[in-house]
Amino acid sequence: MSGMVRIAAVGDVHIAEDVAGQFRPGMADLAERADVLLLAGDLTRFGTPDEARLVAAEFGGLPVPVVAVLGNHDYQSDQVPELVSILADAGITVLEGDSTVIDTPAGRLGIAGTKGFGGGFAGRCATAFGEPEMKAFVGASGALADRLGEALRSVECDVRVALTHYAPVPDTLAGEPLEIYPFLGSYLLAQAIDSAPTVLAVHGHAHYGSERGMTPGGVLVRNVAHPVIRQAYSLFHLDVPSPVTEELAGAERATG
Amino acid sequence: MTTPATGGPPTGDLDYVEAEVRRLLAEDPGIGEQGIEVRHRERVLVLRGEVESPGRRREILRTVRNRFPGLALRADISVSATHPPDAPEELP
Repeated sequence: MSGMVRIAAVGDVHIAEDVAGQFRPGMADLAERADVLLLAGDLTRFGTPDEARLVAAEFGGLPVPVVAVLGNHDYQSDQVPELVSILADAGITVLEGDSTVIDTPAGRLGIAGTKGFGGGFAGRCATAFGEPEMKAFVGASGALADRLGEALRSVECDVRVALTHYAPVPDTLAGEPLEIYPFLGSYLLAQAIDSAPTVLAVHGHAHYGSERGMTPGGVLVRNVAHPVIRQAYSLFHLDVPSPVTEELAGAERATG
Repeated sequence: MTTPATGGPPTGDLDYVEAEVRRLLAEDPGIGEQGIEVRHRERVLVLRGEVESPGRRREILRTVRNRFPGLALRADISVSATHPPDAPEELP
């Protein structure tokens, strides 16, 4: 298989009653434009089951598969299992440390996801030292990133995408105050993404950030937080290399 | 959107007002907005950001005004659009 996988993505839609129905009209021609819709967390405003039902109405039953991770807002009411169940009943796949594979005309798209967490970026990150609260914070971030890495490495597919709420790189935080970077993401997510042949990492959370970035390993990163992209979703076309092209490239590398 | 600066707290105190408003916007059970930038310029508190509905913008301003009556407030808060994208980004 070869060709192009088409990925629609948006995060931080913060659905509640006052926003219900706002996104659906923008999705009218989604089937003609995308193979999948990714939701990069903060689906709800306060993480209540009522809001989750509105998310289910907004993004459920679309003509393409919908794959989501949760965000910090979705944890606000401590009802995560019920939220996940409501979204799953609407056909929305919610990832947390696991993956899903979608068959597209161009090949198998593998998506691994986690909410992720904060801690900051290489050289200036939080460390698991001192108070138990600090160790818990850094440990939670590390555990989520570890599971993302495992999910990315083990998913069998032709093209691999990482989906998180928190940011894996500081590049896409440009515009945010430096002081809050440790609350916006963690380099551990980038390290997990770089541990597999990932081609794209999509995240949200940073409302003041910027769209484009890259991990230290060269994986493209896109911040799709709704206040950043200012449209119903962003659309990405990803080339899926054909096995023949890969073989030729391999042969060139071998003889080169 | 600017209200008279008379009667507001001294400028130095606005550092604490800034902190309190940032926490208020995130922690108030009716608001939950972390994406609003709160800064003060001289004696004016400036709120900047994007929200999902005009009602959320009104609620933010109403809550801050109720908590700090008389505070000079300037708001640059817009509502995010939900139109479909014009074109895809072709990734290398």
